[in-house]
Amino acid sequence: MAHGKSGSGLEHVFLENRAALLRFLRARGAGEAAEDLVQEVWLKVANAPAGPVGAPLSYLYAVANRLMIDRYRSAHATALREREWTATQFDIATGRSDAPDAERLVAARQLAALVEQLLNDLEPPRVAQVFRRHRVDGVAQRDLAAEFGVSLSTIEADLRKAYRALNDFRAKMEVAQDEG
Amino acid sequence: MQADEQIRDQALSWALRTGDPAFADWEAFTAWLEADPAHAAAYDAVAAAVADAAEVLAAAPANDDAPLLSVARRRWMGGAIAAALAVVALVGVLNRPGGAELYETAPGETQLIALADGSTIELAGGTVLEMPEGTSTREAVLREGQALFTIVHNDADPFVLLAGADRLVDAGTVFDVKLGQSGLTLGVSEGAVIYNPAAANLRVDAGNGLVARPGRAPVVAALAPELVGEWREGRLTFDMAPLREVAEDLTRATGIAFTARPGGRDQAISGSIVLAPVLADPRSLEGLLGVSLTRRGDGWEIAGQ
Repeated sequence: MAHGKSGSGLEHVFLENRAALLRFLRARGAGEAAEDLVQEVWLKVANAPAGPVGAPLSYLYAVANRLMIDRYRSAHATALREREWTATQFDIATGRSDAPDAERLVAARQLAALVEQLLNDLEPPRVAQVFRRHRVDGVAQRDLAAEFGVSLSTIEADLRKAYRALNDFRAKMEVAQDEG
Repeated sequence: MQADEQIRDQALSWALRTGDPAFADWEAFTAWLEADPAHAAAYDAVAAAVADAAEVLAAAPANDDAPLLSVARRRWMGGAIAAALAVVALVGVLNRPGGAELYETAPGETQLIALADGSTIELAGGTVLEMPEGTSTREAVLREGQALFTIVHNDADPFVLLAGADRLVDAGTVFDVKLGQSGLTLGVSEGAVIYNPAAANLRVDAGNGLVARPGRAPVVAALAPELVGEWREGRLTFDMAPLREVAEDLTRATGIAFTARPGGRDQAISGSIVLAPVLADPRSLEGLLGVSLTRRGDGWEIAGQ
């Protein structure tokens, strides 16, 4: 079932479920900002490129969830934006917090190499491929099971391995930073 | 601790489930989050780690054919990546057979070299270092620039560094060496280094540094260990350093061309700076070091005030 944008199904679903989305945002840790964020969810949805939405309520939740993840990421920027970039006096002096583009590009390539190495070291080698297909190419887990000729639970186990390794890696980076 | 691990495992499961485009059970996820505020925090940590990784992978080609970690070149990015690199690069040590290896960094870049014995050499920007017999030997030649040496000591086979006309022999050591127009600067944060054992034979212990300016006798003086290799964390400290050395060090660290104003090259500059603001705006140096900057082509000319 396809829904259009404002004035149609999706907006209706949003208004009907606004309270549930608010509750979700608060449970996700939005606190005082929940009201503003639920509005931001709608703005994102309304401004997204038009296209049919199969499960509108799940779609709204997923947008809200991503919004919270991105908020967390910018608050805890570890990898691409070094804490020092934002925490030194230069922030106050210039109001700028982004490294020059070239700098960021080199850093991103460096980090990509690290992430790739980390994933490639996981066994079996399929884990790295499954992670990339799922998280970079956006292929659903069920479809990956068919693509790799394994069961859905095997795909889940592969992804769990990758997630755990990345979670540990990020925690280590944060420790390294706190010590630095 | 056990409870933390349990929460982390649950967070992993939810990150797996919610990350799938087919996920629909948002009410159950909400209920789990509401059960304990620590749940949202654990979930965010996993989700952010995965999102970061996916983002950097998406930005890089799938099969990058560039040689990766063992000779990774990078600009300065602070402690986190350096620490992570150190871990991974050591795992990825290439056990090359003998043969000269030449390492060169452009200004603004750094590079980590892992030696076969577990020692590491971190090159600052604008540096040329040679391992005449390869990375499984105990001899290196610093042609120019700056590097931090973390050497696994072996009494029977001490590590020897040739820097210009000078010979440095380690005695169980973490040390930083800089070779430029203003001579040689050595800082020792662990162990000791013997400077020119066959001639001056000066022992420089941890917590000390040595400055050998051209045409003058070398001077040993106290140096705070945390200043040794501080360039890796994006900091530089100058203690009565000639302006030309300040310009050279800044160029090496930032990749921005700094020159000293003719006539004022030997003016003494003191101060400690963080590089991030300098990269963002070179003029921030004016207030930090009490100098004035003038634009010269692609670079900047520094003058004392």
